[in-house]
Order: sequence, then structure tokens, then C-alpha cells
Amino acid sequence: MTVALVYHEDYLLHEHTPTHPERRERLTYTMDQLREEGVLKHPSVEVVEPERVDESEMSRVHTREYIEKLKHLSDEGEGALSADTHVSEHTWRSALLAAGGVVEAVERVLDGENDSSFVMSRPGGHHAFADSAHGFCFTNNTAVALRKAQEDHGVDRILLWDWDAHHFDGTQSIFYDDPSVLTMSTHQTGRTLFPGTGYSDEIGEGDGEGYNVNVPLMPKTGDDGYRQVVREVFEPIARQYDPDLIFVEAGQDNHFTDPITDLGVTAQGYVDLMDAAVETAAEVCDGRLVASLAGGYGIEGGLPYTNLGVIASLAGMDTSNVREPATYEPPSDGPSADRAVAKVKENLDDYWEF
Amino acid sequence: MIIGVDAGGTNFDAVALEDGVEATAKKPADEDGAFGNLLDELLAEVDEVDRVVVSTTRVLNAAVQERLPDSTNVLVPGVGLSPELAYAGDENIVAGGCVDHRGRVTEPLELDADPSNPVVAVTAKFSTRNPTLELEAADALDADTVAVGHESGGGLGFPARAETTVANAVTKPVFEEFESTLYAALADAGVDAPVYYLKGDAAMLSRRAVCATPAHTLRSGPASSSLGLVALSSVSDAICVDIGGTTTDVTLVEDGFPALTESVGAGKLCTFYDGVVSVDATVGGDTRVDDDGLTGVRDGSAAAFGGPSPTPTDALRVLGETTEGDEDAARDALSKLGDPDEVARDVVDEFVTAVTEAAGSLERRAETVVVGGALADAVAPLLDDSLGWASEVVVPDNADVCGAVGCAVARVSVKTNVHIDTARGEMTVASAGEEKVEEVEQGRRYDEDDAREVVARETAEATRRAGGDATTDEVEITSFRSFDVVEDGRVVGSIVDAEAQAEPGGRYL
Ligand SMILES: [Zn+2]
Repeated sequence: MTVALVYHEDYLLHEHTPTHPERRERLTYTMDQLREEGVLKHPSVEVVEPERVDESEMSRVHTREYIEKLKHLSDEGEGALSADTHVSEHTWRSALLAAGGVVEAVERVLDGENDSSFVMSRPGGHHAFADSAHGFCFTNNTAVALRKAQEDHGVDRILLWDWDAHHFDGTQSIFYDDPSVLTMSTHQTGRTLFPGTGYSDEIGEGDGEGYNVNVPLMPKTGDDGYRQVVREVFEPIARQYDPDLIFVEAGQDNHFTDPITDLGVTAQGYVDLMDAAVETAAEVCDGRLVASLAGGYGIEGGLPYTNLGVIASLAGMDTSNVREPATYEPPSDGPSADRAVAKVKENLDDYWEF
Repeated sequence: MIIGVDAGGTNFDAVALEDGVEATAKKPADEDGAFGNLLDELLAEVDEVDRVVVSTTRVLNAAVQERLPDSTNVLVPGVGLSPELAYAGDENIVAGGCVDHRGRVTEPLELDADPSNPVVAVTAKFSTRNPTLELEAADALDADTVAVGHESGGGLGFPARAETTVANAVTKPVFEEFESTLYAALADAGVDAPVYYLKGDAAMLSRRAVCATPAHTLRSGPASSSLGLVALSSVSDAICVDIGGTTTDVTLVEDGFPALTESVGAGKLCTFYDGVVSVDATVGGDTRVDDDGLTGVRDGSAAAFGGPSPTPTDALRVLGETTEGDEDAARDALSKLGDPDEVARDVVDEFVTAVTEAAGSLERRAETVVVGGALADAVAPLLDDSLGWASEVVVPDNADVCGAVGCAVARVSVKTNVHIDTARGEMTVASAGEEKVEEVEQGRRYDEDDAREVVARETAEATRRAGGDATTDEVEITSFRSFDVVEDGRVVGSIVDAEAQAEPGGRYL
């Protein structure tokens, strides 16, 4: 069993502002942890350096005008898409490379070169729409890669689970009327967190009706709440949808140390999430599983351990000792996910059996 | 004057080098007081000694013959993957305690186990960023021999560091025995110049640093002959063949320096040290010949030199390819196996074929072959016929002491990992031997040029600590990154993390 770990040093180039939470150390501290653990030299891990996608690949998802705007701002070396999403000289090329990373990861799994893959890239993409973006994102790298996979590999059904703490508003909009990509987001409720969308009655439209699943969770929701959602929503839908590929948008900002969100997941909780994805993929799609780093701003106390946990889970390594150091105190039990799960079932009752 | 000493399994060779080779000496390794006799002979022609550089196969032989003691491997894995990935010892003990990626102790050491072996290795995760827990554990243990992970070398990689530290721990006793004998002989001979050892990567290191990391000498033998044959022949690209008494080492030279490979090991030992690319054929001039041909075993000298059994050296003597030694004794020994001339031809054929195969097994980009060792002159013409791909087979002057020459031309080089964290106010410089831990100005921010200058300066200084004299210009920074540390929305300092090394190198004579 090998995992492709897709990483490029140039993922460190793009920066928003000097003290912005979406910073390069999100990757450097994790890479230090992976190096020290011996993960990069482990026989079940293959480190892969991706290439940038061609600009034309971006057109699978984004409008001409938006692409030109991004390129122009990047050429200028400065600008902003929103109050918190800043463009630098490296942004456009970094976005091409981030999309290239996801493309590489998906292709390797579909070609059978690796059993699974993990993309350690930035900037992220799930807040990117066809013609705009916000929330530290620029281009929807996952959507670009999945569209390409559908075209080049004739993949019929893809299950995309976005477990980032923030609702995947951009991704939802791109696939909202499309049943060939079932999109599911578990996130901190929009009542208390950016971008303020992602309620359980947003279920898709047209042919895509019933193929968009939102599970908004209460602040402080922890490992138990997430386990319940996995058991009662993710797993039954995955079995019934019977995808050819599972894609996880792995946002690590559910961690209890994350400074910009308010959830209570631990490193072990993340291991459980990825274990569930691995087991489900084995059951429904011959194990074909791709994961890509999304958010995660607990740079020192969260990311090195959550990233290690999910990669180790993908690689089938012993994860029992993966936890935060004792200097970080995990929260006590969070609220139940009963209500959130019940509302999802109510809204999607016509489409899926729970 | 520099003295190079090549302490092989069969012979001890020495040279005195200034502008060229000024004097040479050779003694059988099993002779009583071999070092003393060797030094006496050499020093008769030498006035002043600037340094002594030594290569030895002692550690390698002990590892290959599995004569090393059992180890207890004490791990401080902290949080993360299973410590089983670092179970490199015969016994493995997991202690509590944690150092994080910033080098902060996040959980204190908890260790209350008794190692069952007298040789102990202690390795903590992220110890190159903060050696405190390893030092505390080493202090708390009652062991005859202790090796600690942060002295094994710079860089990240806990499982490989643990393996390397175990390799250093178990080779310490055999190396110390060798080293103290040589050191005493030098003292007796009145030599008080600094002593260095040649590492497997063909760079040298101070005696003190090698005493902490003796697994560095695993490929010391082929490194010395390769470096020596380069110096003596002034080749840029070549295959080097060093014919010893017990084995023949084949090495690869590219751009005037031995080609290197990563993660050298031997027997049960694994390390993260580089070593010269090397193939060894288990045939040498003293290999015993029996009815089935070459045995791979050395009983002693060749019969022509008073030894007990027939050998390739005797075969070459019978065929007239060499003129040294007692021909009648050689003929007598071979005649026990049949017609001595016929046996001699078969033995030489088999010997040349084995060396030809070893030389052909390396991926070469040159067609020049340089031959060293006592039998070089006799074997080179035969190899020239046998090696179809070789354009020239060269035997330089002093090829019979090429290993000692290699030692004498070596330079000091260490790999360093320089980590500066001004938010913590601390800098660590990890390399082979003691780690430097120093306070730095808290909150200071570095631009890249300044940071690179610090890395070069610290690496040059680490090289000096290891006995070298590198200037900052000679430091190559192999990986570098720096970034600001942001806490609560404020920049509170910089982190600089780099790997560097002073360029190794030899010289042409
Ligand atoms: Zn997020």
C-alpha cells in the first residue's frame, strides 16, 4: 500500500500579509514533523513533486474574466479579492501549482499508481467560485482536478467530502446542479462562522437535487459529534451513492487549537475521520481515496499532529501515539450532533435512506 | 608533514606527505607492536608532524563478523508515530518525555528502566532541535558506553537517527580499543600532533568527534584507497581497484572525488551516513586456495612470504608476474593442488575474473581504471586484457600505499543543521559530535542574506570544532528556509533552518 504525498517547496511562496493566518508555516512545521517521524522515507509513502497545470485547465471551472483578473493582480504584485484574501506576485503561479498538485493526486489514484494520495498544498480552493473567490482561496483546485478526471478518465460518480470547519460555498456552487459529484460538507454552522452559508436545506438543484449535503455543527462540537455524523450521514450516503472515487477536502481547522474557528476535534479525532474515509473507500470504490489539505490555522499545536494523523491513517501506519503534546489541553465533551443529523435526514429523506 | 596511516586488516601502511610522498612504511597488522614499529620506521625520515590521519577497517570487520555487543536502545519518542519504527536495539526501552518541532520540551523526561546491556543508545525525537532530554536520560542511566542521538549528526529523521546512534554505541568499544592503542603508540613515538580519522565519505573528522560517532568509519577503508588513487594518478573520472590481502575494494571516482552513496550500513548496522560507492570482492593476494579454487578466507601471508597456504600471490610468483618472495615455497604450496603451473594459471584466472566482475558492476562513466595495492603492478596488465571496456589501466607511483596517501590528502568536512529560532531566543547547530546550543537575540528578524551568512559562519565554525579550517566561502548551503514567527497576530521573531557542509575534497599530488 503506498500513499502519494504531493508536495512542492514552491507551496511556501505565496503570502497574503505578514501576519495573515494562512501562512507558509502551516506547511513547514508539518513537513518538519513528517521528516522527523521518517514519514517521507517510509516505504509506504511516495513523495511526489507536482507540476503547474496549464492555464487552460483552469477554464474547466473558472470564467475567462476571473482568470484574467487574477493574473493581472498577480502581475501587479498586489491586490485583494476581499478583506482577507490578498494577492501577491506568487499567487497565480502558486494557484496553478496547487491545482497541479490535486490533479496529480487524483490521476495517480485513478491510474492505480498509488492506492491513495494526500496533497500538502496551499493556497486552498473551496471558497473559490467560477468567477470570484474569498476566504483565503483563489482557484477551486479540487473542482479543476475532478472535472479533468471526469473528462480524461470517464469517472461516473465522485463523492466529495469537505470536512473543513468552514462551509465549502465555492465548491457547492460549482457542483450544485450536478449529480456526478456528490458534495458533502461538515462544518461549524454559518450562524457563527464565515462564510455564513451551508444550511441543511441547501440540497442541490435540478439534476443535482439531493446531491449536496450540508451538516452544520454547533460550536465546540468534538470527536464524538463528528463520529456520529460519519456513522449516520457519511457512511450510509456513500454506500448508496456507490462512487468510483472518494475525495476528502481535509480542512484541519476543526482542531481545538485553531485560532479562527471554534470546534473541538483532536488529532485522534482526525485519525478517526480519515480511518472512516479509508474504510468506506475500501468498501465502495476499491479503496480509491484522495485527500487534499484545506484549512487549518493551529499552526504549531494542531496542524503537525492532525496532518501526521491523517497521512499515517492513509498509509496504514500505527496511529495510536498520534496526539497533541500535553501542553495543549484537549476540550471536554462538546455538544451532541443529534439535532444537526436529524435535520439532514429530514431534508434529504426523499433521496437517501438513513 | 602530514602522516597518513591506513590500518587495514592485513597490513598497516603509513606515508609522510609534504609536496609529495616523502616516506613510506608497511607492517603486517598482526605483528606485535605493529603501530610502534610502523611509526618508528616512518618517523626516522620525518622531522615535524602537523597532523596524523587514519583510516581503519576495524569497525567494519567487527560489524560484518557480528562481533559487536548487544545494545539497549532508549527512545524518547514523544508524540507521533509508533516508537517501534525506531526499534534499532537488541533491547528497546521507551521513555516518557516530548520535544516538539520548535525544540520546546513539552513533556518532561520519565525514565525508570534498567538497561540490560552495558552499551546504550539514547535518542529523542527532535533532539537536534533540543538535546536536553537525551542528556538527562544519558545522565540518569548507569551504562559503560552511551551514545546520544544529537551527537550522531544534524538533520531530521528520528528512526534513522536512532539506528545511527545504536550503530555508534555498539561500535564504540571496538573503536576505542583500536584508537587507544594507536594513540599510545603515537605518544610513545613523541607525536603530539592532532589526530583525525577518515570517514566513509572520504572527508576526515577529529579524533574526538569520531570517538563519539565511530560508525562514520564503516567505509573508511575504500574511502582512503579511492582518495589516494585519485591523488596519485590525478584522474578526474575513473574506477579504482585496491587489491588488499583479504579483499579487493572497487570504488568510483567522479569529478576528481570518490562518488558517494547514502545510508551506509554493514552487518546489522544501519546509519544515515554517506559513504563512498564501493563494491568489495572477497578475493585478495592472501586468499587461501584449495581444490575448489579461491576460498574467500585468509589464513596468513602467502606461502612465498612464509605463510601456511597457497594463495594468488604465490600463483603470480610461480608465473613470474612478480619477482618478490620465495618462488620455491610458492611452487611447493601450489603443487599440493596439482601441477603448479597449471594451478597457478587457474588461480590467477579466477582471481582476475572476480576483480573484473566487481569492477564491471559499478555504473561507470569513465574508461580509466586505476589499480592500487601490493599486487597492483602484477595484476594491472592482466586486468587490462580482461576488462574489455577499459581504455587504460594505470598503476601510479606509491600505489601500494594508496590508502595511507588518501588519508594524508583528506580534508575536514561535516554536515550541519543550523536552526535559529529568535522567538525562542535560541540557536542549535547539530553536526557530528557535541551540539552547540546558544542564546540569540530574542525577536531579531533576519533577511535571507544575513541568515545565510550566519549559517555559513556556524558551519565553518563547526568544521573548525571538528578539526578543519574551512572558510565561509567553502561552505555549501544545501537547504535553506526562513520565515517569521507570528503569535497572536504579531511577528515575534524569525526561524531559520538550513543544512550545510564545508566542501570536502582531496588534492592531486
Ligand atoms: Zn476552513
